[in-house]
Amino acid sequence: MSKIIEFNEISKDFKILAKKKGKGFLNLFKRDKKTIHALSNISFEIEEGDIVGYIGPNGAGKSTTIKIMSGILVPTSGECSIMGYTPWKDRKKYVKNIGVVFGQRSQLWWDVPIIDSFQLLKDIYKIPNAEYEETLNELINTLNLKDLLNRPLRQLSLGQKMKCELAGSLLHRPKVLFLDEPTIGLDAVTKLAVRDFVKSINKKWGTTVILTTHDMNDIDALTNKIILIGRGQILYNGKFSAIKEKYGHIKEIEVEFAKNYDRIKLDGYTVVSHNKNFATLKNDEDKEFHVKEFFNEITEKYEVVDFQVKSLGVDEILAKLYKDMNL
Amino acid sequence: MSSYFGIFKMNFKGELQYRTKAISGVATQVFWGLMYIYLYTAFMGGKIIEGFSLEQMKSYVWLGQGFLVIRFLDLPKNCAKEIESGNVCYKFVRPINLYNQWFAEHIGYKLSAMILRCIPLIIVAFILPPSLRLMLPASFTAFILFIFTILIGAIMSSSISMIIVFLTFKTLSAKGTASICNTVFGILGGMYIPLVFMPQAVQNILNYLPFRFIIDLPARIYIGNISPLDALPFIGISIAWIIVIIGFGKLLLSRAGKSATIQGG
Repeated sequence: MSKIIEFNEISKDFKILAKKKGKGFLNLFKRDKKTIHALSNISFEIEEGDIVGYIGPNGAGKSTTIKIMSGILVPTSGECSIMGYTPWKDRKKYVKNIGVVFGQRSQLWWDVPIIDSFQLLKDIYKIPNAEYEETLNELINTLNLKDLLNRPLRQLSLGQKMKCELAGSLLHRPKVLFLDEPTIGLDAVTKLAVRDFVKSINKKWGTTVILTTHDMNDIDALTNKIILIGRGQILYNGKFSAIKEKYGHIKEIEVEFAKNYDRIKLDGYTVVSHNKNFATLKNDEDKEFHVKEFFNEITEKYEVVDFQVKSLGVDEILAKLYKDMNL
Repeated sequence: MSSYFGIFKMNFKGELQYRTKAISGVATQVFWGLMYIYLYTAFMGGKIIEGFSLEQMKSYVWLGQGFLVIRFLDLPKNCAKEIESGNVCYKFVRPINLYNQWFAEHIGYKLSAMILRCIPLIIVAFILPPSLRLMLPASFTAFILFIFTILIGAIMSSSISMIIVFLTFKTLSAKGTASICNTVFGILGGMYIPLVFMPQAVQNILNYLPFRFIIDLPARIYIGNISPLDALPFIGISIAWIIVIIGFGKLLLSRAGKSATIQGG
């Protein structure tokens, strides 16, 4: 497969005005300039047809990267080539081939029926009639938009809006789709629908998808590759399964004791919480977990009524990863 | 081209949905119009000043009020909000010219506002008692030329508001800039005191600045204070100004685009 996106040593600085402390009134006349390094020397490559999760904590630089990739922001330094274009230089030619959805914003027109917005997008992207009809029908069917098309955007719920936004960004069948937090604020059912849709688009049209999200289930369900970014730098670039494996051996064990113990202590395990005759334990990282071994060890010291073993969820894995990397 | 027309239509339609706003706007403007008319009537004391008869003055006031929305530099509803909220980033991902996208929005907004607000107000001004009424155009040629110049006025006003839009990239809020400009441009354009009432020396300058071309010139053509033939050189000047202002706007946009920050993550 060929490389569709190449990011080479991209940096982006923002200058912000900072107040001087303790000089309230003088701030009106003179303010300090401060430079913030949103991205520093980011390099990565993305292959055609991939779905890549771009993750990191708030303020890590995810949205900035997406905005550079979609030609909205100009980086301070570095090179970027997407489908052979430099996004901020060949803007008009380049953006024809991409679709962008910013989960917290809207690209459709507020006051008019959705279908009118689509019609305008058709004009803007100069989509031929036949192709437009075909794509639209396909999108209507997969996203179940039929009843929404004649209603203005302001009447739609968040989930309905997101479906329409997705459809709007795909009318011109872009080769690359950028999704900036596409599932933000959506309920579980709609999230599933959005995920299924993104997957099916990727499969059917071979669309390369780059998505940022805080919902780790999105990552788990959609992507096989993740790029983890923090403090403007890339911290991990590779398979998500590798991370899951690394943290997968950590188990949480909820134990119910026959009586109240003042203190619970077990070698190789950390007590996460302890309340009366209930306690949650976690095996230390260097400790391999075996049910039988654990059972023997704990029943030796305490009277146990019941216990339950749980693996870390994806969310917890990520939280742990962020913590390990000091984010 | 069809895409810009589409954007135009979208803003046109969007604005047409706010009819109550238009009705209350018309009511306010009738009030202001009457106030100005009584004020100037007292001021003129029945005399003709600088070739301006009472009747012409009244019509000048009504046209000024009627086409207020054209002169008024308020940005299309979404335009300022878009920059403040960061939604503006979607403009950058469309495969069409950035400046023209904004321009189509502005013109669509101005023309829909014109239909919603000017026409009712002009009708009201026509059916008022004769002592307050808006007169018929000075001649048929004057009327045609009035329509033409008021459209030029709409374009002029849009290209000026666009500069405010691009300044918003830096200042983040359009309100302050717009309200200062509104007052200053209103005075320079003769909307608070008709230009003809100003000292000759001031008139000599203001006559050639862009602001008077938005309403003052069309209104004076309409009432016959400036004959169509005398108006022609001014129309030439106004078109030249539009070219300069649009050029400046495009320059500002290309600068602003390079250093733009998108608000709100």
